[in-house]
Amino acid sequence: MTQLVATEKGILKSYLTFQLNEEKFAVNVGQVIEIVEVPNITKIPNSPTYLLGVINLRGSILPVVDARIKFGLKANEYTVNTCILVLQLLLDDEQIMLGALVDAVNEVFDVEQEQIQPFPAIGTSYKAEFIKGVIKDKDQFVFILNIDKVFSVMEMESIKIVQENIIGTDKKENQKTVE
Amino acid sequence: MDNMKHIYIEEAKELFESLEKSLLVLEKFPNDKTAISEVFRIMHTIKGSSGMFGYTNITQFLHNLETIYDLIRNEKRQLSKEILDVTLQSLDHLKVIIHDDELIFGNNKKKHNELLITIEFLINENGAEKTESIIENEEAVSSLEWSTYYIKFIPSVEILKKGTNPLYLIDELHSLGECIALPRMKELCSLELTDPSCCYTAWEVFIASNSSIETLKEVFVFVENECTLTVSEIAPFNLIADKTFCNTFCSNTLEADFINTEDINEWVDNQIQNENKQSNSKAITVPKHYTEIINQKEKSITSIRVSSDKLDELMGIVSELVTTQAGLKLLAENTNNMHLDAFSETIEKLTRRLRDVSFGMTLIPVNTMFGRFQRLVRDISYDLNKEIDFVTEGGETELDKTIIESLTDPLMHILRNCLDHGIENAEERKKKGKSPKGKITLKAYYSGASVYIQVSDDGKGIDLDKIRSKAIEKGLIQHDSIMSDKEILELIYAPGFSTAEKITGVSGRGVGMDVVKRNISNLHGEISTETEIDQGSKFSIKLPLTLSIIDGLLVKIGNVFYIIPLSVVDKCYEVKRNELDNFNKLIVFDGNQIPFLDLRVEFEVHEKEPLIQHVIVVNNEDRKVGLGIDSIVGEYQAVVKPLGKHYNGQDYISGATILGDGTIALVLDSNRIIKRYKINHLRTEELV
Amino acid sequence: MKKRILIIDDSESIRELLGNALENAGYDVIKAIDGKDGVSKLEEPNIFLIISDLNMPQMDGIEVIKHLRKHPVYQFTPIIVLTTESQEAKRMEAKEAGATGWMTKPFNTDKLITVIKKIIR
Repeated sequence: MTQLVATEKGILKSYLTFQLNEEKFAVNVGQVIEIVEVPNITKIPNSPTYLLGVINLRGSILPVVDARIKFGLKANEYTVNTCILVLQLLLDDEQIMLGALVDAVNEVFDVEQEQIQPFPAIGTSYKAEFIKGVIKDKDQFVFILNIDKVFSVMEMESIKIVQENIIGTDKKENQKTVE
Repeated sequence: MDNMKHIYIEEAKELFESLEKSLLVLEKFPNDKTAISEVFRIMHTIKGSSGMFGYTNITQFLHNLETIYDLIRNEKRQLSKEILDVTLQSLDHLKVIIHDDELIFGNNKKKHNELLITIEFLINENGAEKTESIIENEEAVSSLEWSTYYIKFIPSVEILKKGTNPLYLIDELHSLGECIALPRMKELCSLELTDPSCCYTAWEVFIASNSSIETLKEVFVFVENECTLTVSEIAPFNLIADKTFCNTFCSNTLEADFINTEDINEWVDNQIQNENKQSNSKAITVPKHYTEIINQKEKSITSIRVSSDKLDELMGIVSELVTTQAGLKLLAENTNNMHLDAFSETIEKLTRRLRDVSFGMTLIPVNTMFGRFQRLVRDISYDLNKEIDFVTEGGETELDKTIIESLTDPLMHILRNCLDHGIENAEERKKKGKSPKGKITLKAYYSGASVYIQVSDDGKGIDLDKIRSKAIEKGLIQHDSIMSDKEILELIYAPGFSTAEKITGVSGRGVGMDVVKRNISNLHGEISTETEIDQGSKFSIKLPLTLSIIDGLLVKIGNVFYIIPLSVVDKCYEVKRNELDNFNKLIVFDGNQIPFLDLRVEFEVHEKEPLIQHVIVVNNEDRKVGLGIDSIVGEYQAVVKPLGKHYNGQDYISGATILGDGTIALVLDSNRIIKRYKINHLRTEELV
Repeated sequence: MKKRILIIDDSESIRELLGNALENAGYDVIKAIDGKDGVSKLEEPNIFLIISDLNMPQMDGIEVIKHLRKHPVYQFTPIIVLTTESQEAKRMEAKEAGATGWMTKPFNTDKLITVIKKIIR
């Protein structure tokens, strides 16, 4: 279990990169509280696929989302590298904690603001508002995520999906609704 | 000091609220004497503490305001609507400047001065002299000259039998100034004739003090019928500092006779004459210990103010303790050690008590919230030019403070709606033969483990036809939909629905009853409506007493644990899997047919089915419904934690709790599951 | 050792309010819910002062005073009765029965502490 301590939140230049399927993403370490192994996840019945359930994080209930499904990527089997990023994010002006299941955590590295390139919305499958910018790491692009946005949109979608559930649509369609 | 200031501000805010309440009482009953003195008292209290904390502008402001109410209190002035309006405005202003006493913000300064001028005007309207006299009076009290008094105190023989210790009274005199007390025991007879339960001592006291003669008499207020008391002023200055005086009169022989007051007066007169001859006025010495006493005058605390953060923390710790205790219980059960069992049991009991006590601390009376509404209703009805009789009942009903906090907005919205759309204007009401004054009732009461809050008005009621056409217009329903009246009424809570023909400033824009309903749902509450044309409408909100800890039944479905609140559980039955009729969804227990809901099917559980299943019969509104589960684990005290915003749509799981071994159990809201099932079920029937 | 004070009042809020104030002022407090309960509490040792309401079910304040004044241990113990503005006659009756002092409701608890300090040291 690794513990990353955020010193001065927000202005940190450090980013944590992680792997979803073949793609590489990064979040500012200021928003990462810790990284935990995948414990027993309690599934909540009739919830959208990307909402995996809740875990017991030292006595607190932490909702966990499958980041891979959120990004429209294939959900692999769990490996030893699969872990949960405990993130702190701003949702409707409120600080909340959320777990994000990722395939692997890679590294923490420092990036100067100038090195971050604007996100070319064309030619990728991600909406521009989710991505703060792109950095080039060796020959691969790393997408810096705006996690507040990523999960706030998800929030709205989750409500939408559950409402559909109530009226009794085929639950298998949910996966398609999630981009 | 900053911390103390915080306490001051908290206290002041509370006082402002009580002040507002009393003012609104006065508005209804302008001659209510208790309300007037209450208003005066509260102003005085705030003024006092503001002064202590250095809020000079507030202190001065309140002083002026208080002056008006002092005049009213003493019946020198009639309370007018004008005065009340200014007072309420002042109150609003005070609420603002409590954070800006220096009046740094230009607006505050402007408002401050405007109000001060108005208040000044109101005071002077009645003639300037009286105002001055008040100020003079206060000054007179504070700069009262030192005088010397003679006190003769002869307690009755029986005084000890009333629990009074006369020595304490003499002691108290000592605290008021410089004092010489001379005990007189002439009455004391020979020892064998003395009854130890009687008092034979009398006292003569010379006291130099700046207290008034009334203050000195006050000391003896409890014993006035059990003693002979003389208090007289003998000199308008401190005689005790005069050695010759002491030598002349203060001979401390126990058997001495009482001093003849005429002798003293004569002596004093001579003294004054002598001094006048010498024409050097004697400096008045302030006894040293007097100033010390002033400094020692401490305010004792009447109740402890605890910040809500600390309370939340306490609840958090209690929650963890409950969870840990559950772990201990589990360990004890598995260890088979009698001593451990006993400890575990004791700790369980203590934890339960601690839980109840701490939980009780988070409960606050709904009155705190009702007070705010009084003002709101008053202001809005003025704006709308409608006369409203606003009645609140059951203000002492207690609810979890977090529920109260989140309930204010929804209730405010409902009240606004009643005022704006419910209550007709005066002419319309007259035409209908109603009193021109509308009535809105806000009522709170307990019912079982729930609290009900009701808002009712005697207005025009909700026109169902209007709702229906509006819903069709908005595309919420088909024009040929067949709906019951109840269902139509439910439409007012549909998102995007608003019956107001024009948006008024009062009912606000954009937010509708759908938000109200959602807020209440978030509190695990329910809202229902009753209405009758021209009779009025009633909105009932049902809320759980608390959100945090419940007694529940721990059950298992598949490999997931669930908690069903014990408050809804009626009975549990064991059934064989193959006896369950999943087609008709009915089950017969004790000769009663009960609708039945297999949660395995509902929750899409695919693990192997047990041969023996259990059905929990729960109370659902006014009937019973069976819920099929795999197995019952036992009773469990659950600390309910929210699932987080991402599960907001998951309304039939009201939260989760952590079991002793760290596993998570989900808390079921049976009413919602049944509701949801009904919707699905209905849907399938329609399809068929 | 803290001085013990017995509060007898049928209103829980009053009991709590007074109890709280007295505890904060450094007294040890025991509470009784009515006169009868109050009299039974006289079994407790070291009571320095009794504060009692007048109107109570079971046994009213006057009876409590009368009982107290005959009590072997506590006959000299001060007792303060709580009265209201309109109970002048009642107050005199209490005084007659042997009450040490009175407090007129509503009062502020600071005042009560001041009065107590007058009566017990």
